[in-house]
This record gives sequence, structure tokens and C-alpha cells, in this order.
Amino acid sequence: MKDLYLSREEERIYDGELGWAYEVSMKILVKLGDLYGAKRLIPIESAHISGVSYKTIGDAPIEFLEALLEANGRVRVKTTMNPSGIDCEDPIFKYLPKEITEKQKKIIDIYEGLGVERSLTCTPYYIKAAQSGSHLSWAESSAVIYANSILKAWTNREGGPSALASALIGKTPDYGLHQPENRRISAIIKVEADLLSESDYGLLGIYLGKVLGDKIPLIRGRILGEELFLKQMGAAMATSGMVPMFYFDDSEAMSQRTDEVISVDNRDIRRADEEISSFFEKPDLIFIGCPHCSLEEIKCVSNLLRGKKIRKDIRLWICTSRFIRNKAAEYVRIIESSGGRVISDTCAVVTWLRELGIETLMTNSAKTAYYVPLMSNVKAALSPMKKCIEIALQK
Amino acid sequence: MDKILRGRPIVPGKASGIALVSMKPLSFLGGIDPKTGVVVERNHDLFGKTIKDSILCFPHGHGSTVGSFVLYSLAKNGLAPKAIVNVLADPVVVVGAVIANIPMIDKIDVSQIKMGDLVEVDCYSGTVRILGR
Repeated sequence: MKDLYLSREEERIYDGELGWAYEVSMKILVKLGDLYGAKRLIPIESAHISGVSYKTIGDAPIEFLEALLEANGRVRVKTTMNPSGIDCEDPIFKYLPKEITEKQKKIIDIYEGLGVERSLTCTPYYIKAAQSGSHLSWAESSAVIYANSILKAWTNREGGPSALASALIGKTPDYGLHQPENRRISAIIKVEADLLSESDYGLLGIYLGKVLGDKIPLIRGRILGEELFLKQMGAAMATSGMVPMFYFDDSEAMSQRTDEVISVDNRDIRRADEEISSFFEKPDLIFIGCPHCSLEEIKCVSNLLRGKKIRKDIRLWICTSRFIRNKAAEYVRIIESSGGRVISDTCAVVTWLRELGIETLMTNSAKTAYYVPLMSNVKAALSPMKKCIEIALQK
Repeated sequence: MDKILRGRPIVPGKASGIALVSMKPLSFLGGIDPKTGVVVERNHDLFGKTIKDSILCFPHGHGSTVGSFVLYSLAKNGLAPKAIVNVLADPVVVVGAVIANIPMIDKIDVSQIKMGDLVEVDCYSGTVRILGR
């Protein structure tokens, strides 16, 4: 029943000679490969696993993951994991019910037992950038679009289970974005809007995700290729749509042709803002760090906060990976002495906001503004980082 | 006369049982309670029905990829369907059926199958035989 070619060694794994954990992982890859017409498996440089936060996944994966662990499953390539529902070291998360924090720790421990690095971040590329041209098996849509578009690595939009199966086997079926013909531009976007901040780029992303579905756009016109802008735009595009990658450099379009041209003007951006932003008097939380902050972003925030104190009635969270947090000790000190918190291992999208007393949130991330009303029943407003920090400092 | 539908086998196996049929996509995460096997997604036409031991026929899955793990838990708890029949397989349901070892077939026009039909699914040859009620 399989059309996909397997080497003798792969065949043996498929037949269970290395045990159930590898057998079931191989079967997942072969079935997915068959479904999408792959002819073979190809080696991957790294894998990135989603499905870590107990808030978003619940108890569902625990039994399967435990079974993999009992069957001595272990990843064969560098594998990182997405944020969880808690910062394992920050005391504010101790206010959450013990049952849920214990369950969360258990899930992290099982993944770690399988050999997945305790990275707990959606930006594994800040820990180690994927090589240009390398094949990956990454879940987490914002990391996928970043890897394909900015790092020029090659990955499909994996789900948690398929990324994990690839991690155990060290390979992925060769289909979709692993093949050059599927990485062609399928729409040209003419940006006629004035994009003034990272939040505006996020709004462009929200708008484009809706009109593009899973198409691959070349974005030209009034855009800047700054990393933060592209990161925010990509994350948003992958949230409101299924866009797996984008091009932003005209030179890449030379050899490719497409007839579909979509113009975006200021009205489209404003409409996207109206769709995702709510109005409220004061945010309970100001949140920067979706996707998790780079060292550069933490530095920007600390410069804005240096020597100042934030309002007592507003909380400020700066979320980043523990890896970056450890590198940013001086900036962290500045932010925390102003009354903000630098939080790792989690973020406002995948933690229990209501249980932590948060009903309104302001953020510079369009992805967060899109998700938190749906996932946590929390109202959101979008503003650039500078404005967010100004509001946190207002007397 | 028995009616035979031909499709594409996905996970090998054979099963016969009573068809539980929906024309709506099904999300396993949040849509089905892994502890009871009951469909809990409101506004779904299978709301309140148990999928245990059924021949579960629906167009395709939707929603989170974590849904695959729900199928595994259902099987562990003895609450899985005997077979899955889809119009078009999607990765969430395929991975779920693989890890839970539930016979699965797709490219079947599920509108031909009526709720309560006795059906025989052969996921070696790729056929669904409707034996009537």
C-alpha cells in the first residue's frame, strides 16, 4: 500500500525491527508521504515540535508520548520544543492551580526524555539558525514561515505529531516545500500602504493571510526588509492564513512569473486593525514577545525603560527564550528594575491569562491580538512597541 | 443487493459495524471527549453520539494536529471507532489512524452511506460494502 521508496534500513524500521516507537514514527512519515505523493524520505537538519502547552493541548498527547518513551524512542536530530503554558522559574505562575502546573511539567519532562531540547520557544532560530538550503521538519507556523522566507531553509508546515515522527527518524517525506517547483511565487503583492511600525507589518500579514490562503506571495512596493518587520508580518500571515513562505526581494522574482497581483492600501490595513483590536480603558497586561523576542528587541525595550518606573496598575511582560534571556542579563536587569518582567518558556498566547487575572491586553504582535480573544477570551489592542512602553510608563 | 464503494486504503485492516455518518468535518481535539468517546462539538450533527465501535464516516478532519493524539487515547481507552471512512484523508486523521491502528479508507462518497447502515470495510482491497440495515 505504499508508493514511497524505502531503503532497506528504512524498510526494517517500518517492519518494527527497531521497536514500536520507530515503527510508528516511520509509518506516520510513510502515510503522509503517500498522501502527498512523496517518492522518498530525505534527511533533515533539525526538527521543531509544537504541542507543548498544556493549555492548548490538554491531556490528549500524554498517553501517546508516554508510550513512545516507554518504547525507548529518542530523537535522532537536533530537536527543539515550542513554549509551554508556564515559566518554570517565575513565581507568578505558582498562582496557577497545582494540577495544571504539574501536568505541564510532566509534558515537558516526557519530551525531554525523548531527547527534545528544553528550548521552550517559538524562535528556535535564535538559538541556532537553520542553514540556508537545509531541509527541516518544523511545526509552529511562525517559525516555519521565518525559516522558509528569511533563513531560506526548506520546511513544510508540520504539525506536532509529524514533526515528532521526523525527529525520531531523522527524515521527512520529500513533498511540498521540499521540492523547488512548490516554492514558486503564486501571487504578487503591491504594497501601497504606509507601514510605519512592526505592528503595521503585522496588520499587513493578517490581511494577506486572509486573501492568500496557502499561496506564496512576492511582496514588493513600500516595504523594508528589517528582520523584526518581516518576523511580525510572517507570523501574522501564518495565523490568519496558511501561508508557508513569502519572498520580499525583487531579484527572486526575475525567473518566476505569476499573473495574480493584489494591491494593499491604507484602508486594508485599517480594516485589519478594526477586525483584531478592541477598545478598553486600560490594559491589564502589556505584552511584547510574540514571536519570542530577539536580543535586539530586548535591548530596544530596555533602552525605552532605562531609569523609569512603569505604572503599578499595568503589568509588562517581555517574553523570550531562556537562551536569549541568559544572554541579555544586563537588559533584563534594567527591565525588571523598572517593574517589567522578562518571562521565558511561555508567552501570553499559550498561558492561562484569565487565571492570572488578565482580561485586557495590549501588544505589538498582530498574531497575539488575533489569537487571545479566541483562545483566552481576553480583549486585545495592537500598538507598536514604543507606544506600548509609553502607555506602561504613563502617569 | 449490496452496494460496493471503492476507495483508497490508508491504514490496513477489516471491520464491519454500524455506520455513523456525518457530512461535516470533524475535529478530534475539542470535538470528541477522549474519556467517553462522545462527540462534544456543539453544532455538529453527531453531537451527543458515541463513536465507539462505529464505522465512522465523515468528509475529513479539521482543527489542531493534536487531534491525532485524541484518536490514540480513544483506542487506548477502548473507545475507538472500528474503522474510519473519509471523502478525502487529511494529515490529522491519517496520523491518528496510524498511531491508533484504526483501519482507514478514503476517496469514498460518504453520502452514499446512511446512518445506521451495516457496512463492511476492507482496507486491504479498498472497498466499503453496504449490507443495508
